[in-house]
Amino acid sequence: MPRLMDMGLEKLNSLMMEMATLSEDAVSVAIEAYVTGKKSREVNVWAEKLRSLHRQVSELSIELIARYQPVASDLRYIKSCFEISYGFFRYGRYAHDIIEVLEMFGDLSKCDHTMVNETARKTQEMIRMSIDAFTRKDVGLAKKIPAMDDVVDDRYRKNLSEMMKGAADTKCALSTALVLRYLERIADHATYISESVVYIVTGLEPPA
Amino acid sequence: MTQGLGSGSIPSGRRYLDLLMTALVGVAVLLALIPLVLIVADVIIQGAPAINLSFLTNSPTPVNIPGGGIGPAIEGTSVMVGIATLISVPIGVGAGIFFSEWPESRLSTISSFTNDVLAEFPSIVIGIFVYVLIVLATHSFSAIAGAIALSVIMVPIVARTTEESLKIVPNTLREASMALGISRWKTVIRIVISTGKNGLATGILLAVARAAGETAPLLLTALGSTFFLTGLFQPTAALPLLIYTYATSPYQVWHEQAWGAALILVAFMLVLNLTVKLVIGRKFSEMRAEI
Amino acid sequence: MEIGTQKEADFEVSEVETELPPRPTTATATKLETRGLKANFGANQILKGVDLRIPEKSITAIMGPSGCGKTTFIRCLNRLHELTPGATVQGEVLLDGSNIFSPRVDPVSIRRKIGMVFQKPNPFPTMSVYDNVAAGLKLSGVKDRKLLDETVERSLRLAFLWDEVKNELKKSGAALSGGQQQRLCIARALAVEPEVVLMDEPASALDPTATAKIEEAMARLKRNYTIVIVTHNMQQAARVADQTAFFYLGELVEFGPTAELFENPKEELTERYITGKFG
Repeated sequence: MPRLMDMGLEKLNSLMMEMATLSEDAVSVAIEAYVTGKKSREVNVWAEKLRSLHRQVSELSIELIARYQPVASDLRYIKSCFEISYGFFRYGRYAHDIIEVLEMFGDLSKCDHTMVNETARKTQEMIRMSIDAFTRKDVGLAKKIPAMDDVVDDRYRKNLSEMMKGAADTKCALSTALVLRYLERIADHATYISESVVYIVTGLEPPA
Repeated sequence: MTQGLGSGSIPSGRRYLDLLMTALVGVAVLLALIPLVLIVADVIIQGAPAINLSFLTNSPTPVNIPGGGIGPAIEGTSVMVGIATLISVPIGVGAGIFFSEWPESRLSTISSFTNDVLAEFPSIVIGIFVYVLIVLATHSFSAIAGAIALSVIMVPIVARTTEESLKIVPNTLREASMALGISRWKTVIRIVISTGKNGLATGILLAVARAAGETAPLLLTALGSTFFLTGLFQPTAALPLLIYTYATSPYQVWHEQAWGAALILVAFMLVLNLTVKLVIGRKFSEMRAEI
Repeated sequence: MEIGTQKEADFEVSEVETELPPRPTTATATKLETRGLKANFGANQILKGVDLRIPEKSITAIMGPSGCGKTTFIRCLNRLHELTPGATVQGEVLLDGSNIFSPRVDPVSIRRKIGMVFQKPNPFPTMSVYDNVAAGLKLSGVKDRKLLDETVERSLRLAFLWDEVKNELKKSGAALSGGQQQRLCIARALAVEPEVVLMDEPASALDPTATAKIEEAMARLKRNYTIVIVTHNMQQAARVADQTAFFYLGELVEFGPTAELFENPKEELTERYITGKFG
């Protein structure tokens, strides 16, 4: 028998799905744009939309809690949606930031984008996995993500230390560093999302 | 009924049926009231002329001598009903408490049933029973025998009303009391009875009213007398007996006196019933509403 | 004044002790423990063997769907269940380690140590506010006026009712509002100085404001009393209880700290009940 709260939960879920798709697309388009040098207006629009969606999710979560006093799995789900939607919002934000780098720095076609491409691939894989884990409430999948975060972190730091040795082209060095930084942050959020998914299902917080 | 709704909102067929039924019920009420009103009116009209102080205090005199009164009858009824009350109240209330508070006992269910049967017994049969038991054994009609007969009639009434009054006391009060660590006995006496005491008092007063009006059993036990009491083991006068004797006599004087005695008896009944209804009844129903 | 050592009523011919045997000296945080507690009404088994440890000086909520045996459970704790004709109890209930069903124990003395507040407020209708609160003491033979006055005031303060009735102590108990009546019943129960207070859905007949007052009183009371409350209102359990037990069909399904049970229940059945996915 459907409960009063179920309608609200469905709405919450559809908001989350919308944010998931939008944020994933924003990141891929942004990376594509950066690497090919073709600017994109869409990403900015999407980033704004994601901000608005996150606000809707947060309002809906509070409303559900105040009205229906959810407990157990419902409560954990709502709390997590609030946190995860922030993660999706940040995906979009960093996608926007990546586009900004492109716009600020202008022509980057001479730069070596290998590092960026490899890291982006990994990061996008993490985004995909985080979304899948959330959609399917798949704890096993979620638990694989933190390890991948280590890889991304590693690349980011390696790149930084190489930069510090003295780079060939300042513009490329800086833009690569910035983009890697954003990718690293995206990966961090994917990790947070995976932890939230584990919490939804098991009720356990990650160890401190 | 239909006020405030507007006459157009109820189909007229149903309205007429409603009015018809109300009228029928009203007629039934009138029919029920008429005997009471007629009797009381008749008694007052016929009996009032006979009432004066000497009538109430004098002994009866032979028919041709004026100044006779119903003093001994009033005394006799008072004494016998009084003694009967003293006997029947402890027994009846005790039994009623037992039936109500220990219903799980076999003895309780059986006695309660026999009590109800006894309440419906023809009073003349009770008179015969006491006649054989007491009058024949003591070789004399007496006030005691009359009182005992009346108490046999009163006990079932008191027991039943006590039982019913106590059963109305909500069980949650008993539980509240027991939950405070108060023993069962104390709970019954201090909580249950004190809550149901109005019902108990009502029952006792109604039993008294009933006893005061009983004639048949007194015929065989008290017999009647024209003298004031000289002891409890003598035949005794009583109002119902006097009314019976005088009313069936051929003498006009006695007929008038019978009406006067009847008026006294009826007045006593009315006062008793009114007391019950107004004083105790009101408190009783207030209390029930609050529970 | 030791209530338990008061002379018993004239009618009681009892050779049992009026006090429980002395408690074990090792300090224990468990006030009430049930072991294999079973309860029946005739052939109908209501409780199927409950093992539960109730910690002292805290609020334990018992919840579950209708018919799960929660009311029967607490009525066993103060030996009220067995008063119903046909009702039987098996198993043990330990108060401070001693079995209250031991034949050496007088049920009346248990009920002084384990008090109860009922679902529908039931003040004694023929008594004033003062007399209601004092009833437990007076009917145990306490006559000291000063002691009674002090106890009545203390109990009414504990129940958060003193300020509202202090000038109207002679008013009939039944003339108070529903919420006040229930607090009166709480004061009445507290006056005999129990160690445990059982509450059977104490606020279910009350409006939200009155309910809030009762809950505030409970939160204060738990400093000194062990409180066990039966409630069908999950939000109430979530608000007031330190630990919560979930009963279903006469069995204890889960028991634990309230916050844990409501955020992350261990049993599937508990989860389904509290999220409303039951029937």
